[in-house]
This record gives sequence, C-alpha cells and structure tokens, in this order.
Amino acid sequence: MAYTTFNRQINDQMKEPMFFGNPVNVSRYDQQKYGIFEKLIEKQLSFFWRPEEVDVSKDRIDYQNLPDHEKHIFISNLKYQTLLDSVQGRSPNVAFLPIVSLPELETWIETWAFSETIHSRSYTHIVRNISAEPHKVFDDIMLNEKILERAEDVTRYYDDLIDGINLYQRCGEGTHSINGETHSISLYELKRRLYLCVMSVNVLEAIRFYVSFACSFAFAERELMEGNAKIIRLIARDEALHLTGTQHMLNIMAAGDDDADMAKIAKECEEEAYAIFRKAAEQEKDWAEYLFKDGSMIGLNKDILCQYVEYITNSRMQAVGMKAIFSTTQNPIPWINTWLVSDNVQVAPQEAEISSYLVGQIDNEVDGGDFGDFDL
Amino acid sequence: MPGVKLSNGVVINFDGSARTLLDALERKQLEVNFHCREGYCGACRCKLVSGEVSYINEPLAFVRKGEFLPCCSVPVTDIEIEIP
Repeated sequence: MAYTTFNRQINDQMKEPMFFGNPVNVSRYDQQKYGIFEKLIEKQLSFFWRPEEVDVSKDRIDYQNLPDHEKHIFISNLKYQTLLDSVQGRSPNVAFLPIVSLPELETWIETWAFSETIHSRSYTHIVRNISAEPHKVFDDIMLNEKILERAEDVTRYYDDLIDGINLYQRCGEGTHSINGETHSISLYELKRRLYLCVMSVNVLEAIRFYVSFACSFAFAERELMEGNAKIIRLIARDEALHLTGTQHMLNIMAAGDDDADMAKIAKECEEEAYAIFRKAAEQEKDWAEYLFKDGSMIGLNKDILCQYVEYITNSRMQAVGMKAIFSTTQNPIPWINTWLVSDNVQVAPQEAEISSYLVGQIDNEVDGGDFGDFDL
Repeated sequence: MPGVKLSNGVVINFDGSARTLLDALERKQLEVNFHCREGYCGACRCKLVSGEVSYINEPLAFVRKGEFLPCCSVPVTDIEIEIP
C-alpha cells in the first residue's frame, strides 16, 4: 500500500498488473509482460533531438513582418502549447510512478515525460528568438483566461488521481478524518480515477495539440516561421508516439486480462469517456474561434480548423474502440499529413537522416574475407 | 500477384512496384489518412475483411483483430479491405 522506492517483496514481475500491484523493485528488461513499452522507449530514444539544433533566426524577421492578427495566432498557440507541455512534463511522473508495477511501463512513463520537457525548452528557444521580451509571453500564460479555461480540464483528472493516491498510500482504503475533514477512498475508486486520467491524457495528446500544429504548418506552407515548423514537426512526431503509448494502456485496461476491475471500469466510464472527448473537441473549436477573432490566415480559417478538429476526434476515438461522434469523414486539410510524416523530419538542413537513425550503429561482424584485397 | 479488393468492388493488383499497401493505394489516387508512415502512429488504420498481410516492420501502434496498417504492410494473399 505505502510506496517504497525499492520494494523488498520478492515478486514475479510478469504476474503484476500495469498499476496497483507491487511497486517496482529491480528495473529489469530481460523479461517483459508488455514488450510494446520497451519498443516505445527505444523509438522515443531514437527520436532524441535538442531545440538548439534548429535554427530559428529567420523566424524573427518573419514574425516582425506578420500582421497583428497573425502574430496573435502564432503567439497564442505557443502559449497554449507551453501550458500543455508544462503539465505533461511533470504529471505522468507524479501521477503514475507511485502506482506503476511493471519496470518497462515505469521506464516508458519516465522516457515519455522527459521528452515533454524537451518540448517545453523548445518553446523558450522559439520565444527568445522571435521576441525581445520573452517574459511578457510567458507571464501572460497565467493571466490568459482562454488558456486557463483549458488548463482546468487538462489537469483535473491528474489532480483527482494524485489526491486519491496520496490518501490511499498514507491511510489505506476507508474513511479517514484528516485535519477535521472526512475523506474516503477505495482501491476501486482509485482505479476509476486512473482510467479517466489516462483517457484524458489520451485526449490531450490526440486532439489538443493539433489546432496549433495546423497553424504552424500553415505558416510554413507560405515559407514563414519555418524554424518553428521544424521544431513543431519534431514535437508532433513525439506526440504521435506518446499517443500510441496511452492507446495501448487504454486498450490493455479495457481488455481486462491485466486487471479484471479495469475492464469493468472501462465499461462503467464509457459515457464519461465520450464526454471527455466531446468537451475537448468543443474547447478546441472555441480556441480556433479565439485564434481567428481578428482575422483568418491564408490557407486556414475557423471553419476549416473546426472540421479538422472533428475529423481527428473521430479518428482518435475509433483508435480506442469508441464510435465517431461527428459526421465529418474527410480531412479538410490533407496537406497537413506531409508535415507529419516521420522520415521527412530534418533536424538541421544538412542532416537529412531517417528518424530511426541510431548513433554508433557499426557493423561489428568482420571476417577474414573482408581483407581479401588489402595489401600492406 | 495478390489482388487488393476495396469495399466499392474495385480491385488493385499489388505487383511489387509499390513498397507498401499505402503506396499502392495512393498510386490509384485513393485517399487514405496517414501521418508517420512508419507504423507507430496508427493514423492509416484500415479494416482487413479477408486475406492476410505481412508487415515490413512490426507496427508499434495498437492494431485490433480485423485491422491492419497499410503504411508498413504488403499483402500475402488476395485481400479485401475497407478504408474508413
């Protein structure tokens, strides 16, 4: 029940559930209950990039020449993404690490959250380059009502889960009186909070980033803010992988072989899961309206962006076994896909290397025949 | 040469000139959603009604029974598919 950083209980990790079994003791990967998480870790590591590698100096000139309503679109999206990655850089660690029971999943969570911290650092890199007063951009995040509205829904499920875990690990199941207040918690309720939290994270990574991604790529289609677009492509590549991670977690939970309670909970929470998707889609459509309040940009307007939100919402819902909720079946901005292709991602213009490129991959197999035409 | 039958009855021959099923579908001007084209995002997920495909590289995205990812697969037998 109480968390320990090195559980002394000798256990068979292959028999633990993903969450709420024994805390992980030995970080071992010679055996894996779910090999997919190890594969995701390897893929994420092969994606490693640093914001400083991308030259955004031309973006400063581009930004200064943008009309005010396009400056608003650009900078508001950066602020919103900063919020999202602030949350994602810490919350998977705080919420999931105290309850995870499989070493490969534990390490995936850490690898996932770490890559989000790179995204956060890249926003500072961009803002520093385009603005002489970066502090004004970041200070506004905590004051901007449109962003704060979204923050509430992005963080609520994490906070509910973390609060429940704290109580459970300190006091156990039951009703407890703490500082004169009564709190109840059961393991089943915690599992419910976990399911909803993973669902909400899935929605965050599946939908919430994409309005902003679309705007960044629409600028770059006009050969504007291309350094930024290059960074956003790298972020989008990471996010697609994270999304696959949460989709796997949700699908394993719903199948019930890992923990029978989770399958029951997945059924019980079905309506709430639909509501989470629907609300996120509505909020993103509102966001599109806020972005374009003073005017559209070439290639994108509020209606097109709203249709795109509906289109990706449908597709993300189907990926976790849910039914589509919008009638949109066509992607209104098919050009966005070419920006999301993995192997087109380049870090520096002179380095056109494939995403799965691994440093230090040398062929160690050498036999005598290789020296056949070698004379001394 | 395996045939790829679509839900509208059209049959495409997979003659090996396309690297993947997604490439083959696109050559016929069919619109399939895609992002990564590497099997880790799952955006191109389609229904496999009948037949068998094999993967050039094992997909990381979650693929349900009766689904497949055209971006990293080739047909082994004649197949019948549905593009969402």
